[in-house]
Amino acid sequence: MLEISDLATSYGKIEALRGVTLSARSGTVTCLLGPNGAGKSTLMLTLAGILKPLRGSIKFEGEELVGCEPAKIVERGMALVPENRLVFPGLTVRENLLAGAYRRRDMAGIRSDVDAMFVRFPRLKERVEQLAGTLSGGEQQMLAVARALMSRPRLLLMDEPSVGLAPLVVAEIFSIIEQLHREGVSLFVVEQNAHMALKVAQHFYLMEQGRVSFSGSPGEMADDTVIQRAYLGQQRAEPGLPTSP
Amino acid sequence: MMHVLQLLMDGLIDGGAYALIGLGLSLTFGQLRRLNLAYGATAMLASYLGAALYATQRAPAWLVAVTVIVSATLIGWYVEWMCFARSGQESEQGFGPAIGAPIAGADGREVVALASSFAIWMQLEQLAVNLLPQHLNAFPSLAAQQDWVIDSSLGELMVRPDRLLLAILAAVMVLGLAVWLERSRTGLSWRACADRRLAAHLVGMPVARLQTAAFAAGCALSGLAAFAVLSLDGQVTPMFGMWVLLKGLVAAMLGGLGSVRGVLWGGLFLGVVEAVAQASVGAQGREFATYALLFFVLVVPWKPRQALGLSAGLRG
Repeated sequence: MLEISDLATSYGKIEALRGVTLSARSGTVTCLLGPNGAGKSTLMLTLAGILKPLRGSIKFEGEELVGCEPAKIVERGMALVPENRLVFPGLTVRENLLAGAYRRRDMAGIRSDVDAMFVRFPRLKERVEQLAGTLSGGEQQMLAVARALMSRPRLLLMDEPSVGLAPLVVAEIFSIIEQLHREGVSLFVVEQNAHMALKVAQHFYLMEQGRVSFSGSPGEMADDTVIQRAYLGQQRAEPGLPTSP
Repeated sequence: MMHVLQLLMDGLIDGGAYALIGLGLSLTFGQLRRLNLAYGATAMLASYLGAALYATQRAPAWLVAVTVIVSATLIGWYVEWMCFARSGQESEQGFGPAIGAPIAGADGREVVALASSFAIWMQLEQLAVNLLPQHLNAFPSLAAQQDWVIDSSLGELMVRPDRLLLAILAAVMVLGLAVWLERSRTGLSWRACADRRLAAHLVGMPVARLQTAAFAAGCALSGLAAFAVLSLDGQVTPMFGMWVLLKGLVAAMLGGLGSVRGVLWGGLFLGVVEAVAQASVGAQGREFATYALLFFVLVVPWKPRQALGLSAGLRG
């Protein structure tokens, strides 16, 4: 579904991605792990068309996305739930959802999708006319997911959906990921919380210093002692997360 | 009693004109979080083009109105391209904390935009003065021939029908734009771009194009306001640009820059304060009141910044 090869992006002279090659298969949850500063968010913003790569290719369902405007990419069926949620704080919950459907013209479909989001996220329904900036972190994350889903993506990109959220809310977010997976949406998720990611993802990549340094199944990922020490070990130190045996 | 009522009414009616003038300024500020100092000069050059057409061709008033509004839109497009388009795009490409920050922090580029809009102000004003060098220039007049007099048991009230019409036009434009911003798809996208630029990109909005459109619309409004105000005086002078910027800025500031409905209240308030100052101190008091009010809005500590002066984003 998504084939990235030799992708390089830089901020001025700082090269953040140094030739990233990875792929996400249709109908699966693919997870990208990596320490801070590895270039994960840069990769996500490049995929969404916000940052322009220096070289390399991004093929989505066989079509090249490099050089496409963000609007084009959303229309092709790929939507990003960005890091830190980035809801529109000064717009109401309903307006945020409508903004998510900006590229669509089918008014009836948009309206029924808004209602569908309120079924999926009952908490948002309670706050429908509230400004998004006044929502809690977890609610904002749900709104960000709902806003991205409003474009009816076939591949949903999520950049650290659990960061900064309470454990119960994190569990809720991951159950939403599982639910979307069951419904047939493909997901490509950047995540620091390897414990939770192990439960939902079918394939893992590890990114370090702008390159992919590991690729494997959840079994290989959990067995790999290097990764376990570097990431699962760190996770254990965070309060509120389940400790691994 | 009647005197006070007359004063209030004159103030409110004049305030309508200020609201119409401030409307475009508030819209562009809300969109960009950047102050367009060339706003008054845009309206002035457009008015001068209209006056030149009137002087040379004896063009009818409607044609002058169309000319003023269209040229204000085109000049606004030029100002946006010179001062604001690039400064906006650059800040999107920013990284670190700038990614995901609302449209503008103090990122230095807003200072560049402000300074360059000052340069464009001077440029446009000079162009206008070169076009029609004399101080007083004729403008098509739509002024009413007679005042309305309302008799009552308490005394007489004088209403200038043309001014009243202008105030009604202002109220209609302000409320119309506010409702449009809240209800329409494009209105939603303008507010979304003003609210969080990066997120607007992510949902597929053509941010740069929407920004240019909102800016040009603000300048078209300045053209409409300029024509409406000048057609009551029947003349235009080189002081007009400064006057538009000053009154518009105070009205927009009082209402909260970026708030569309706020401009109406800000304009009306300014009108009443000026009318009271004029009645109690005289003509100098009127101008003094404007400056005092501007200063007051900037330094007053007892209101949250949201409500006065620098508001966040664009609101209906």
